[in-house]
Amino acid sequence: MNLGLRAQQKSVLPREAGAASLDVVIAIMAFLAALSLCAVLIAQRTAQDWRRGLAGKLTVQVLPPARGPVQPALARETAAAVQVLKTTRGIFSVHELSEAKTERLVEPWLGKGALVADLPLPRLIDASVVPGRHVDLVALRHRLKTAAPDGYVDDHRHWLARLSRLADTIMWSAYGVLGLIAIATAATAAFATRAGLSAHHDIVELLHQMGAHGGFIASAFDRHYLRTAFFASLVGAVLAAIVFAAAGGLEYVGLKPMPFLPPLALSMSQLTWLVLIPVFGGAIAWATARLSVLAALRNIY
Amino acid sequence: MVRFENVGMRYGPGPEILRDVSFALEAGSFTFLTGPSGAGKTTLLKLMYLAEPPSRGLITLFGTDLATASRRLFPALRRRIGVVFQDFRLLDHLSAFDNVALPLRLSGARMEDFRQDVEEILTWVGLGPRMHAKPPTLSGGEQQRVAIARAVVARPDLLIADEPTGNVDPDMGQRLLRLFFELNRLGTTVLIATHDRGLIATGQSQELRLVDGRLVAMPMVRP
Ligand SMILES: Nc1ncnc2c1ncn2[C@@H]1O[C@H](COP(=O)(O)OP(=O)(O)OP(=O)(O)O)[C@@H](O)[C@H]1O
Ligand SMILES: [Mg+2]
Repeated sequence: MNLGLRAQQKSVLPREAGAASLDVVIAIMAFLAALSLCAVLIAQRTAQDWRRGLAGKLTVQVLPPARGPVQPALARETAAAVQVLKTTRGIFSVHELSEAKTERLVEPWLGKGALVADLPLPRLIDASVVPGRHVDLVALRHRLKTAAPDGYVDDHRHWLARLSRLADTIMWSAYGVLGLIAIATAATAAFATRAGLSAHHDIVELLHQMGAHGGFIASAFDRHYLRTAFFASLVGAVLAAIVFAAAGGLEYVGLKPMPFLPPLALSMSQLTWLVLIPVFGGAIAWATARLSVLAALRNIY
Repeated sequence: MVRFENVGMRYGPGPEILRDVSFALEAGSFTFLTGPSGAGKTTLLKLMYLAEPPSRGLITLFGTDLATASRRLFPALRRRIGVVFQDFRLLDHLSAFDNVALPLRLSGARMEDFRQDVEEILTWVGLGPRMHAKPPTLSGGEQQRVAIARAVVARPDLLIADEPTGNVDPDMGQRLLRLFFELNRLGTTVLIATHDRGLIATGQSQELRLVDGRLVAMPMVRP
């Protein structure tokens, strides 16, 4: 009953008809913000995938000896290295790559055929580390030195660091873009509020004259812009979600729009982060409108 | 209630519109402000209803010295004043009812508490049937009556009316004047700026006459 009566009270501002351009600008901002947010999510997930994929792995490379017969030495050292790995604490699976598989690995660089068959290729041993366990690399290298002098351990740390840095760079850039969009949205809302203030100057002055507090007048404006920005940025965020859902769908049926990039598909739980965009969009517009009106009112006697 | 001491007023760098204006309105008094067009009546009223600060001089309102008071007190002071503007200043997108209800809303009252007051006052000024019309569809005189209803509905301590009968026929003018007297009887201090000498001849009241920005002493109309 009470609520019904309150709802009957008309807003002191007329419903805006000419503010459509503001809606469009905010919707576009929200769309861009949603894209950046998705970029953050993808960079985060990709960095995680890379880390998870490589971090649990050690590779031992046994190089062909500089002197003497190659194949027997390679075979002997490889077997010794496998033995060392198998007896290392923290390693749960050791797997030697067959010669054929190694050849396939270098095929793209050296080509197929006789040339490769003659070339002494290093042997590769793949070892998986128990997740979360730390392998004492110094000790491992030491033991390997005596058992297989031509074996080298690679824990991919170098690669991982670079990939992490890349992912971090992407992530922070996207955060930066988000920040810029937030500022631009605030500036747009401030601009729109000022336009609204001058369009409704007579109303604002009258309310002020009748003894309305700044907060009362400001809330007539900030509610309007809160609503506008919320729905406009909801539209932008939904559009971005559709774009990413579509990209995910394409990848699902095997069409990869950009072969070198990590997958664009985002899970449903990741897409729910986009809910933040209308919330923040509305909040930014609300706060900006409120502060602009209060600042303008301070300039009236 | 209201005290002006050597008040001067100019708009920006322009000429002085008011010069050395000094007077006092006693609580519960009923005063007409007269003078030729352009004499500065509206300007004087604006100073009184806190629309403009004076260029110089001292204004005391409800015992508050405006020059030294914090601006934060102004909204509360303004809510104690009902104003009928010369140009009405109604909100075109609100009905007559909602326009009149505005001061009550501003003072925090609830719809169910003031609905009856608003309907009563609109009926008194002869707008009962036009209660839900928007100002652009009302005649000039009807708009003026909405403006008057809005100024008096909250029973202000001070009522300031600028040419409140300029757009209505003499009979309606007398009826509106009775409304002001009724309000005055209930304790409101009333100040009415007008050209209408017929209005002034009525009732117990005093007159302030403004000529060329200066107050001219006038005797009580009917002491
Ligand atoms: N905002 C303003 N800026 C500059 N000059 C103004 C302003 N308002 C009024 N004036 C000038 O001040 C003078 C007095 O104006 P005011 O409106 O106070 O007269 P008035 O006595 O109310 O006249 P009327 O009876 O026609 O309503 C006029 O010469 C007018 O041009
Ligand atoms: Mg005037």
